[in-house]
Amino acid sequence: MKQINVLFFASLRDLTSERMIELSISDSMKIAGLKETLIKRYPQIAPMMDTLIISMNHEFAFDEMEIMDHAEIALFPPVSGG
Amino acid sequence: MTGQTIIRITEQALEIDPMIKKLTDQSTGAMAIFTGLVRGVTQQKEPHETTELQYEAYREMAEKMMYRIADEIRAQWPLVRSIAIIQRIGIFTPGIPTVLIVCTGEHRDSGIFEAAKYGIERLKQVVPIWKKEISPDGSKWVEGDYRPENMHL
Repeated sequence: MKQINVLFFASLRDLTSERMIELSISDSMKIAGLKETLIKRYPQIAPMMDTLIISMNHEFAFDEMEIMDHAEIALFPPVSGG
Repeated sequence: MTGQTIIRITEQALEIDPMIKKLTDQSTGAMAIFTGLVRGVTQQKEPHETTELQYEAYREMAEKMMYRIADEIRAQWPLVRSIAIIQRIGIFTPGIPTVLIVCTGEHRDSGIFEAAKYGIERLKQVVPIWKKEISPDGSKWVEGDYRPENMHL
């Protein structure tokens, strides 16, 4: 098992009412698998999945990437700074 | 000689004059300064009024991405000397500056205008900062339209 932290920002934080959770995941889990796990836990974020952005250790992350042990994962909507 | 790189996410007011002073050295002859403000009245696209904007950042990743934008600017416009990319976060009413991009050079034709434009456009694409818009009709998170692509595919 791997231990990770998952952070939620902006609309994702509002929808889940979470800022950060700790998760234990299987050693082979990829970003796509984590998405499925999180949708089960927070069904209300399912409509966001098409535009959702995920980062791992402060870099953009994509479905086929394997999750690193002790990774800091973040979920957020498309950015709107400036 | 490379200039300075100033990257900052701050809750403090953005001050242009001290930044000009800080980025000026003996060979600085030109500076392009972009600032973005909270707009109270939007007339184009979907006309509406804005009461305030609430900004938040994923600070560690945001700073990393802002340094990367400065690197991208230097790669494309090698004559740009100093770069400042500063985003203010917090709750702001119309007329308040929220972002400041400064690029300096020896001359005005060193790419500073294009570099500052690239800086703000890239910030709006890849830097994890979000704003919630409060209007007379309610509040909503503003979403950009950029989606990062997997460069490793």
